[in-house]
Amino acid sequence: MNLVWKLLRQHISIPQFAGFFFANLVGMTIILLGLQFYTDTQAIYQSEDSFMKADYLIINKRIGSLTTITGKSSAFTLPEVQDLDQQEFVERVGLFTSSAYDVKATFKLDEGTSFSTEMFFESVPDEFVDVKSDDWGYQQGSHEVPIILPRNYLDLYNFGYAQSRNMPKLSEGILSAIRLKIDLAGQGMRDEYEGRIVGFSSRLNTILVPQQFMDWANEYYAGTKTVAPTRLIVEVNNPTDDRITSYLQDNDYETDQDKLDASKQTFLLRIIVAIVMGVGLVISILSFYILMLSVYLLVEKNSTKLENLLLIGYSPTKVSMPYQLLTIGLNVLVLAIAIVAMLAVRNVYLEMFESFFPDFETPSITTTLLAGVCLLGVVSILNVIAIKSKVMSIWKRKD
Amino acid sequence: MKEIVLEHTLPKVFVQVKDLQSEVWNQTVTFEKERLYLVEANSGTGKSSLCSYIFGYRKDYEGRILFDGADIARFKTSQWVKIRQKSLSLLWQELRLFPELTAMENVDIKNKLTGQQTKQQIETWFEQLGIADRMHAKIGRMSFGQQQRVALIRALCQPFDFIFVDEPISHLDDTNSRIVGELLTAEAKRQGAGVIVTSIGKHIELNYDKVLKL
Repeated sequence: MNLVWKLLRQHISIPQFAGFFFANLVGMTIILLGLQFYTDTQAIYQSEDSFMKADYLIINKRIGSLTTITGKSSAFTLPEVQDLDQQEFVERVGLFTSSAYDVKATFKLDEGTSFSTEMFFESVPDEFVDVKSDDWGYQQGSHEVPIILPRNYLDLYNFGYAQSRNMPKLSEGILSAIRLKIDLAGQGMRDEYEGRIVGFSSRLNTILVPQQFMDWANEYYAGTKTVAPTRLIVEVNNPTDDRITSYLQDNDYETDQDKLDASKQTFLLRIIVAIVMGVGLVISILSFYILMLSVYLLVEKNSTKLENLLLIGYSPTKVSMPYQLLTIGLNVLVLAIAIVAMLAVRNVYLEMFESFFPDFETPSITTTLLAGVCLLGVVSILNVIAIKSKVMSIWKRKD
Repeated sequence: MKEIVLEHTLPKVFVQVKDLQSEVWNQTVTFEKERLYLVEANSGTGKSSLCSYIFGYRKDYEGRILFDGADIARFKTSQWVKIRQKSLSLLWQELRLFPELTAMENVDIKNKLTGQQTKQQIETWFEQLGIADRMHAKIGRMSFGQQQRVALIRALCQPFDFIFVDEPISHLDDTNSRIVGELLTAEAKRQGAGVIVTSIGKHIELNYDKVLKL
């Protein structure tokens, strides 16, 4: 192969290959960085609330003085839900189900201290709750119920109660380990359950239990399956859609506006990252084009040599190989340097992230690496095919 | 491969030519192993075309060319690669050497592919042909006569059933021509191969089994 390479490296244009190399490096780095930046920022949004995607809106009817006086129901009727479901900006709608029975919860912090409070439960369809299915569910007959608490309950304790009594502040982790005693009562029955806190949500100002449990408990303790929902959970395809705001206004509905803003931010971020990655992709495609042009030119300039090699018994595969290895080598080198560059830039912004968000957990770079390797694979396969077909055209030229 | 048969083979450019007188074109000709053929030709009678048809890199002919009864027009790339490595050797009139490589490298590039000859054998041939001192010179800096001898050595660096030599001694003196003839026949005999020599005038003096006028 050495002699063949000695022959075929003639006419290799260093400036052309350097041009490809740097252009592809820039493109690849932008793509990888865009992807990794997106993954990292997603982690920030998700760390705020791991149970609900930012695209979900929670909608309720506006409660004004008139509602209270007239006693007009704040529950949604079936036609109202159907109407919302048919809006173009809506992907799917879920109903909040409220408990129709009495709930009393007791937190036991230590032997002497415990909180006890009257509460209520709510549930939304499971597909809106982003918890592993093992953790989120209920087996009938079991006395253990998974629950998601509002994060401000924790804040209320940490910054209110614990502060005033000089008690230790609790982290989410510790609190998750604490069992909650729950008493359910209704229709003359009273049972004790154990609540297992699977997480905290800043999006939902309610105590969430699995839909299965709610359906069963409503029937068992209240003899009813359906309670008219006062809140709806809605997945929208584009949170920045103006039609959402106008629809809500027209129907006198409310939503958690700041969350709408947050989801707007993620949406915008997603678009920006997509644009940046698109630019990277365009640069990469152009650099791929430069590479293919250089290789074609090279093959053209060395066509007599290639033809002679084929005539003295070299196979097209063997003759193509030096150029294929050259391009694959360049591609691998580009990917390696792009990964290093991406990691270097990432280190800079991760430091900033960590100073803003102390709880920030660094996401893995596996997806980005995988994407890089896939891109490398696709580009290399295209290179290999293009070079082989170019050599085959020399083979066939004498037809 | 035991025989090569030309079955009414005719270059397409000759189709219009009336009263074509040839013992090869548009005839049935059989080349057999272990025999020596001389194809004599005038300029422009398609001598190099014949070589390129048989070697599979030109197809502008009518009729058929058969290797052991198989029509070569249907051969696939991989079959041709195998034939060029193991069954057919060709010394081109235009030599097709690589000017960037030395004489030895030009031979090596073929011999490394086939593994046919020992380094020692190749060096002996260089000596016998009187170009041992030019072994490591770039081909581009050698005379055409010297290049012809290098091309011959390269052509011998593979197993073959037939060897075609297209005007092998056009630029050689009588002594070297004789040596070329000896090397060629000795190696062909060793391998039990058929030899087809073409010439437009001066040709190697050998005991040809058959002389064909193209």
